[in-house]
Parts: sequence; structure tokens; C-alpha cells
Amino acid sequence: MSSQLSASAVALPPSTSVAVGGPTTDSPRSPDAPRSFWRRALGDAFARYGARIGAAWVILLAFCGVFAPFIANTHPLLLKMDGQWSMPLFRHLTPGDVVLLFATAMAALAYFGMRGFRPSQRLYIVVGAVLLMIPLARWFVTPPITVNYSQYREAEKAGRVQYILRTPVRYSPTDYLRDLPDRRLSPPTRHHWMGTERDSADVLSRMIHAARIALTIGFISTGIAVAIGVVVGGLMGFYAGTVDIIGMRLIEIFESIPTLVLLLTIVAVFERNIYLMMAIIGLTSWTSNARFVRAEFLRLRKQDFVQAAIAAGLPRRSVIFRHMLPNGVAPVLVSASFGVAAAILIESVLSFLGLGLVQEPSWGGMLNQARNEGGAFSWWMAIFPGTAIFLTVFAYNLIGESLRDALDPKLRKLD
Amino acid sequence: MAKPLLEIQDLNVAFNTERGQVMPVRDVSLTVYPGQTVAVVGESGSGKSVTALSVLRLIPQPPGKILSGRIVWQGRDLLTLSEKEMRSVRGGEIAMIFQEPMTSLNPVYTIGDQIAEAVMLHQRVTSRQAFEIAEQSLRDVGIADAGRRLHEYPHQMSGGMRQRVMIAMALSCKPELLIADEPTTALDVTIQAQILELLRKLQRENGMSILLITHDLGVVAEQADVVNVMYASRIVESATVEELFDKPQHPYTEGLFRSIPKLGAYAERLDTIPGTVPNPARFPTGCKFHPRCPRTRAAAEEPGRDARDVIEVTSGDETFRVLRKCATDEPALREVRPRHWGACHLVENFDRSPITSPQLDHHRSVAAVAVDGGAQAPLATATTAGVTTQDLAGGVREGAR
Repeated sequence: MSSQLSASAVALPPSTSVAVGGPTTDSPRSPDAPRSFWRRALGDAFARYGARIGAAWVILLAFCGVFAPFIANTHPLLLKMDGQWSMPLFRHLTPGDVVLLFATAMAALAYFGMRGFRPSQRLYIVVGAVLLMIPLARWFVTPPITVNYSQYREAEKAGRVQYILRTPVRYSPTDYLRDLPDRRLSPPTRHHWMGTERDSADVLSRMIHAARIALTIGFISTGIAVAIGVVVGGLMGFYAGTVDIIGMRLIEIFESIPTLVLLLTIVAVFERNIYLMMAIIGLTSWTSNARFVRAEFLRLRKQDFVQAAIAAGLPRRSVIFRHMLPNGVAPVLVSASFGVAAAILIESVLSFLGLGLVQEPSWGGMLNQARNEGGAFSWWMAIFPGTAIFLTVFAYNLIGESLRDALDPKLRKLD
Repeated sequence: MAKPLLEIQDLNVAFNTERGQVMPVRDVSLTVYPGQTVAVVGESGSGKSVTALSVLRLIPQPPGKILSGRIVWQGRDLLTLSEKEMRSVRGGEIAMIFQEPMTSLNPVYTIGDQIAEAVMLHQRVTSRQAFEIAEQSLRDVGIADAGRRLHEYPHQMSGGMRQRVMIAMALSCKPELLIADEPTTALDVTIQAQILELLRKLQRENGMSILLITHDLGVVAEQADVVNVMYASRIVESATVEELFDKPQHPYTEGLFRSIPKLGAYAERLDTIPGTVPNPARFPTGCKFHPRCPRTRAAAEEPGRDARDVIEVTSGDETFRVLRKCATDEPALREVRPRHWGACHLVENFDRSPITSPQLDHHRSVAAVAVDGGAQAPLATATTAGVTTQDLAGGVREGAR
């Protein structure tokens, strides 16, 4: 269950970033073609430098996340050892890696190909294919359970390797260099561009692989928060009255829960599970989304086009989700982009406090290692992950700010 | 006599506000017959829009609530239908167009999407057929290049065009009744004339009824068969259009006529009805018009009036004398003349007139409806807000059956 979830979870970031960044930045559309409200709003938002820089960074992260095994891996891409050709990297791909790559390929195909389908149909095709791929990958992709990282280096030293094609970064995030004990906690060198950790793992490799966690935790927890917030806020705003009062009290109850303290408790009681963390962050941070949607819906329910939609006999579901939501979700989009940043920070804080994940690389966890026993300070362990966290949070804030400005009716110049 | 299509009987609607319950619609009864255009005229806040919204149960609940009454649509009381049954009535049998065309279309979808969505809801058609129907209905409302317009967004269109789209959407499912809530108020006069013309044409072609909510007597003169005048939550006068324009009974209606600018007549200032429509939270007692009513003041000042019949009232910063019954008894709607209902104590024989609910299965004739209060000149000489005589003349000719 948990790893099935993992596959679908990590599949999310690239396709989402394609959907958001795609249609606005580089769509070759004739200027007189009608553009919908959303196209114009997103176009406006991503016309700003801030949003473009932010989006570029997020796309870079997404790229790192998806192709991490091909960027940083101890297993060579191509190997001729003892006269035998092999591709160890592909044999060691996990089901999660495969699903992620497949999802990215499908998203790219949907965006650049599939001209015969409407956008919604493309989305269904991609989601359907990815969901289908998850069990298939779990069934057919079976990497070896025991991994020997040092075998390639030892073989090379022994002169058994005739040809080897490596990835740009030569170390896996969990390659603790058992055969090279002198590399432990070293500052940046020729071999390790960002130094190594206390347990000898390569910092750059871990940074690249940690992009997955950073993006996933941001998107999943914000996704949960948005989903709950939209439904609760939408119902409150649409029905108003008693529903609104009850919903408001619910929001107040959830707002009184301190997220970090709850997370510390959960982590202390249960195992350290990233999906549990995402769920907790999502379940405690939906309230502002609900407030936004509620306010928008209270405004919208009296608007003529909503009345007209009801007067046309449309069912309530269609009125709420097709007619009201697209017109009222703008502030949520803005707060969601800030929410992603906040979720990444929370995960970093937890990892920094030593309550994050144990095996999986995470920026916050690496930051924690900057401070060593005896007060020694490893500057490379602070600078690189710290910069990554800062840039990512900054990128989301830039995007959020541009979205907010583009969607602000006072600043908007949409006739 | 044909069976009425829509019968509103003693409708009472309340809104809960922070300052207590207010009732924007009280004891309203009106009837719409097939093929008829029934106008509801009144100032802002008179309750006419709430009446219209009540028919489709579109009153925002909360804070609104329909307290009592029946809204009988082809034998069924709409107020007792389930939300699901109501949905098939909305759009399919009764359609509605709104005052503000700039905001009544969803900015996020193309107009083709919006019309086709409504079509597919009420008719068993494929999406391709729905778009064909949408295109045809755009053509019907006189939109040039309908095929291309279908794929445009509302912001790419002018106000008049959007109102045409609204009408196209409303009529795409061939409703039997169209509720038009101030359909031309937000449009400039030439576009107003075109839209009214279009409504007449479509009505003639489809034979539907129109419940026309307006504050514009010029529109009423051109369009209506039967007129209901609303003031402060009640219908105060109800008659055929010819009768009402010829012999208005209620002082409020008279006041409305007096405040219409007349072409060819010279005036320094237009006549107005003194005062304002009372706030629904603080309606006066008795006849709600009495603080503004010239007729009761004149009657109170008549020589030989028994002092017991007169009462002194204060409205705003003004103190004056009115008839006691006007300030204490609310007059019911009575049939004061044959086929003419009014609610005013000071109409001749008011107390002896029967209290009945207005039923007028009337269609206007070629006839002349003059806005100038009784002049029999055909093709009226005046109307409100600058709809030119030309338009009006054309209008009446068009309206002839």
C-alpha cells in the first residue's frame, strides 16, 4: 500500500509543473485566437520575470527529481566487465523510478502530441495510463534487494573493466563508500563537488535525489489542503447560513492545532513516514484555503451568471464545480503556491530536528549534519542544502506573488 | 377562456436581515396566459425582481424564504416540487434572462460551451448536435457569423451582443415562459429597441409567454398585454395595457405617468413622485403609498371633511394631513372597474368593489397605447428614456397580431 502510494505520489510533480508552466510560456498561439480567462490570467502571471525565474527553478527541480537516477548514480549506464556488456543502472531502477519516468513521458506526449484529443481527454489518458502503470511496475520491475556499490570501483581497480559509461555524478545517494573510508565528511573535492556527509554519502547526489522529496511533499500536502479547503469552503459559501456557521467553527478548531507540535507527536508515536507527514501537513493547513473559497463563493452565489446557471436548470454539482469554482479558485491558487513553500519548510524543519526520514535524502536532514559532534561546523553541509531550500521556497513565493498580482481584479486589465 | 400558464397566488416572501425580517413581496397574485406578455412595473425595491426570482425558486436561501402562497405552473405548484423536478422546469419550461448582460455569462467558458451545456441538459442530443442547436439559436437572435462567435468568450462581445447570447441561451430549449428581469435596463437605447424587437419576433415565432419585469413604462407600452404595477411589496394596480394607460386608477400609477418626459411638451423640470420608496424594513402602516400620495392629502384638505377622518402624519421632516383610513387600513386589490384592479381607498366605489384576483386573458390589439395618460392619439408621442417615437411606432406595429 505504502509503496503503491509512493509511486503515484512521486508521479505528480513533473506532470503538474508541465500543466502549469506549459501552456503559458511557450504555446505558439495566434494572437487573435480567443483566450480563456485562465489562459489570460496565467499568461499574465508568467509574463513576469519573477514567475519565470520561479518556474524555471521548479522545472529544474522537477527535472532533477524525475531523472535523478540518470544524473547521480553509482551504477554505470553501460559497462563492459570481463568482456561482458551490461546496463547495471537500468537493472537497479526501482518501480517508483519507472512510474515517474513513464508519467513524465506520458505528460510530454500529451502536451506535444495527442492533437486529436481535447485537453480534458488528454488529462484522463495520462492519469489512466499512469494508474495502470503503477501495478505493472510493481510486478515487473524487480531491482536486486542487496546492492553492492563498491563492486564497480573494485573491478575498475582490478583492471577487469574494459568500458564504462557513468552518470554525471558518480555516486548514488545511499552509496556510503565502504571501500573508501578516507572520504568521510570531506569538504568539496575533485571527486565530490559538494563534499560528503558524515557517513561518506555524496552531498550533490543526495541533493539531487532530495528534490523528489521536496517537490512531492510540497505538492501532495498542498494538494490535500486545497482539495479539503475547496470542498469545505465551497459548501460553506454555497449554502451559507447554518452550514457556514458549522464550517467556520470547524475551521477554528483546525486552526487551533499547532502543525509542528502535532507532527512531532505523530513522528514520535508512529514510524517516520513521509506520507503520514504529508497527510498531517495537508490536514492542518486547509483552513486558509477554505476561508478563501468561502469568501469567493459568498460573493459568487449572488452573481448573475451563477443565478443564470441555476435558472438554466443546471444541477448543483455543475453550478458549484463548473461555474463557481473556476471563478473563485484564484485566491486558492495563490495561497497554494505559498503553501507548497511552507510545506517544504516544515519538512526541512522536521528533518533538521532529526525527526525526518532516515534513509531517504532530504535537504533539512542534510542541514542537520552541518553541526557535528564537538561543535565542528561543516560549511558545505550548511551552504548547499540551505541554498536549495531557500531557492525553492523563494521560487514558489515568486510564482505565488505573480499569480496574486495577475489575478487581482484591481490590477487586472482584462477589459 | 384559455387555461392560465402560470398563476402566482398570494405569494409572500421574507428575507431575514440583521434588523429583523423584511417582506419584499406580500400577497402578490398574478396570472400569465399562453402567448401573453405580462409586465410587472415598479421602482427599485418594489419587489418585482424578487417576485420573478420566486417563480424559479432562485431566491437565495438563506436569507430569503417563501413564506406562503402558490406558484401554479401548468397545474403543478412549483413551491412543492423537489429540487430535482424543479431543475427540469428551470431552463426547460421556464427560462430567465437577467438585467446585467455583462455579468450573466460565465467569463471562463465560450458562449458555445454555455449554450450547449444548457441544451444537453434538457434535450437528448449529442454534444455535436447541441453545438448545432447553439449555433442556430445564435443565428435566431441575429448574431452574425454565429459559427465563429460560438467559440468566443463573453469578454469579446458587447453588452447588446451578450444580451442576445443570453436570450439565445434562454430560448435554445424552447421554453413556454420567459422571465425577463429588466432585459434592457443596462443597454443603451438603440440596443434596447433592438432587443425588444427581437423578443417580440421570437415570441411571435415560438408562441411563448413573457413575464416582463421592468421599471420602464416605455417598454411596457411597447411590449405588454397586461400590466401589474408594484409598489412597496404589493401589486397596487393591474389591468390590460390599454386600460391602464387610458384610465390609471392608483395615484402611484398616475405619478409614474406624470414623471415621464413628453416629446413636444416643454417643462423646466420633470414631475416626480415626492419622497422615495420606503425601506422594506420600515414600511409605513396602512396604504404604503400614503406618505407620498397627493390624492389623500388633497382629500384631507377638502372642505367639509369630518375631522375624525383625518390624521396628521410625519414623513421625513414633513408633517401633513392624510385620511385616517389611508394611514391605518391597507387597501386590498379590488376590481374597481371591469377587468381593472386597483388598491386605493380613494378610487370611486372602492369599498363596494369585489376583492378578486386579477385574471386577464388579454392580448393587445393593433392599438394605440399612449403613455401620455389617456390621449387617444395612436402611436404614442412619448416614452421614457429616449426610445424614439420611431421605435415605438415600429414597435406597436410589430406587436400587432
